[in-house]
Amino acid sequence: MWGSQAGFGSLVKGVPSFVIPSVPDPAAFLRLHTDDHADPSCKIKIQHGTTTLAFRYQGGVIVAVDSRATAGSYVASGTVKKVIEINPYLLGTMAGGAADCQYWETYLGVHCRLHELRNRERISVSAASKYLSNLVYSYKGMGLSMGTMICGWDKTGPALFYVDSDGTRLKGNIFSVGSGSTFAYGVLDQEYRWDLPDEEAQELARRSIYAAGHRDAFSGNTCNLYQVKEDGWQFIGNYDITKLHYDGPGEAPGNGYGYDIRVEGQTSTDLPATAGQA
Amino acid sequence: METSFALTGKGYVIVAADTTAARSIVKMKDDQDKIKELGSHLLMAYSGEPGPSNAYIIMPTQPTDPLLSFYSGDTIQFAEYVERNIRLYQIRHLYPLRPSAAASWIRRSLAVSLRSRNAFTVNLLIGGYDLADHKPTLYWIDYLGTVVEVPFAAHGYGSYFALSLLDRYHNPDATLEEGLATLKRCINEVSKRLVVSPDRYKVKVVDKDGVREVEL
Amino acid sequence: MDSIAHPTQRQFNPYSDNGGTILAIAGADFTVIAGDTRQSEGYSIQTRYAPKVFPLTDRAVLAVNGFAADGNMFVKKVKQRLEWYRHAHSKDMPLRAIARLIQTMLYARRFFPFYVYNILGGIEEDGTGAVYSFDPVGSYEREACRAAGAAQSLVQPFLDNQIYFNNQQPAPGTSHPVHLPLPTILSIVIDSFTGATERHIEVGDGLEMYVVLAKGRGVQGLEDVRGVQELSVTEEGERIFVIRRDLKKD
Repeated sequence: MWGSQAGFGSLVKGVPSFVIPSVPDPAAFLRLHTDDHADPSCKIKIQHGTTTLAFRYQGGVIVAVDSRATAGSYVASGTVKKVIEINPYLLGTMAGGAADCQYWETYLGVHCRLHELRNRERISVSAASKYLSNLVYSYKGMGLSMGTMICGWDKTGPALFYVDSDGTRLKGNIFSVGSGSTFAYGVLDQEYRWDLPDEEAQELARRSIYAAGHRDAFSGNTCNLYQVKEDGWQFIGNYDITKLHYDGPGEAPGNGYGYDIRVEGQTSTDLPATAGQA
Repeated sequence: METSFALTGKGYVIVAADTTAARSIVKMKDDQDKIKELGSHLLMAYSGEPGPSNAYIIMPTQPTDPLLSFYSGDTIQFAEYVERNIRLYQIRHLYPLRPSAAASWIRRSLAVSLRSRNAFTVNLLIGGYDLADHKPTLYWIDYLGTVVEVPFAAHGYGSYFALSLLDRYHNPDATLEEGLATLKRCINEVSKRLVVSPDRYKVKVVDKDGVREVEL
Repeated sequence: MDSIAHPTQRQFNPYSDNGGTILAIAGADFTVIAGDTRQSEGYSIQTRYAPKVFPLTDRAVLAVNGFAADGNMFVKKVKQRLEWYRHAHSKDMPLRAIARLIQTMLYARRFFPFYVYNILGGIEEDGTGAVYSFDPVGSYEREACRAAGAAQSLVQPFLDNQIYFNNQQPAPGTSHPVHLPLPTILSIVIDSFTGATERHIEVGDGLEMYVVLAKGRGVQGLEDVRGVQELSVTEEGERIFVIRRDLKKD
């Protein structure tokens, strides 16, 4: 390798090559040293735990994620960028191995650009997600761990695909991925509809990530919100989940999402009208 | 997979449990009542895992997943034990145990059982209406003897979907109609998202007038 | 004696943990990158002086922690790639490019990882101080401060409080500073390591702090510091200094 072939420059030769340990079963070797679920004392801890969601609606695609990375029970980072900006029209989300998602989605970005140069038009979200899916599928069983949503806008309009390291690739309207996904679905499903206005769609995504951050210990810290429109993606904002709990997303306090804040002053005790006199 | 929900509202507690009785991958029965009426104003939903006595029947090679629960003899044994002792207390003392006292006694029974050779593995939701202070009360109890008084609760895989939903939609002063609507949200969400979701639930309500079953 | 030949199976374990802690903090126009110098395996101290922080260029410093053999090898390879870049382009690689290079080098070992946690600190092309932190297989992020290694869980909460002012309420009518001055950050770094040395058995012996200053910044904040040693040969571009301190040796 010489000079500017540093970094992704090495890809000029085609597919990147990987160093493999010379043992009979490299995947078992990797698992032995990196799987902290099976063995908490293993040395190389790959970061787990996440809530990510994305949904398609009338106005485009909304993407929302939390920002917590955990190694065991230690909060390794509270500022992780789990939305990967592949190019101005494509977003990818990050669940599972942080490096796997970051590396392969950056790699996907390189190939999307090559597609543009070769074909004089942008790659469709469908093709981009298929490219990623085929790529990770070729490494199946080697220990990659990714659960990602590829979001964008192409000739067909807003598009959303779920791709994971098992090789699953699904087209859909609503997806949530990660340890907190069930909690996010619990809120998201209730008020989702195709014709949501932009403001309501953003609010629903924020509330869903808040719900997951609140109920799932492996999710939390902050919520990053993005929106994909016809002219590409747009970053909406970063919201502290503790602040969402007490004050809500705006500057004016008193709109907290928290249960205790929402039901303050209410009681289930049902005193009969005469009970006061007794 | 077994799922139960409960929530309080203005002057009532709703308790709901699925009605499936399963052995391994087979649904043996789909109208099982898993909510015991422990007194005039006390309900107990019970769900459990395979106890040590019949654990060998189900997936002998796999470790017991506390959430992969099955309706087994163990849970009924415990529920009936509780039912009879609560009844005995009322016969002896004329007055029934208040919900808080009943929950304490039941928790203690589970804690004692946990430290025996053959522990009951039963998860419970105790809903009661306290006639003394007109307070509807709900206790979440798991098979380890953890008790906590809550405004809403759930057991089983359904809890992963329902708890965030209830954080968002539950109101302590909701009317019974509103409370049942919130329960329906939970049931629909679990039907929508859980892979092997129960299709039928039994729903009971306890309020100042006592316990009764309601149709959704 | 064994007379019958029989196959034996050995477990292949090419990893060890050599303790120690590293940390980096970015200021407005400077960055401090520090590490202790103790190297241990289990309860025995192998050496009291094994550097974990390495200057790469006049504006980039890399701290490596984890398995020392992997770490030293990795630094060697990064330096080699940077030298090749220098020969091809007649300039040093920019900091953000070094960060991406480190990602691809780590990820090339995705299936046989280097057991190293890297923190890269230095000056960005726009003259701002920057810190990049990596996991062993190459995921990375730019941050303002980061601790890694044995005492990460002791030092990072202290940094969150003292650098980001987490869980602190500013006095009425005032606000927390966005960037702290160099002398304040140096004191925080020293306190982090003396504290970690007290409470963690794998931290101690010596402390090396590298300070990278932006181009044309001057040396304000370093004048009164004892034993500062300049590593850069010219005062033109970015400048690198090293400050060494003793830590407790028990």
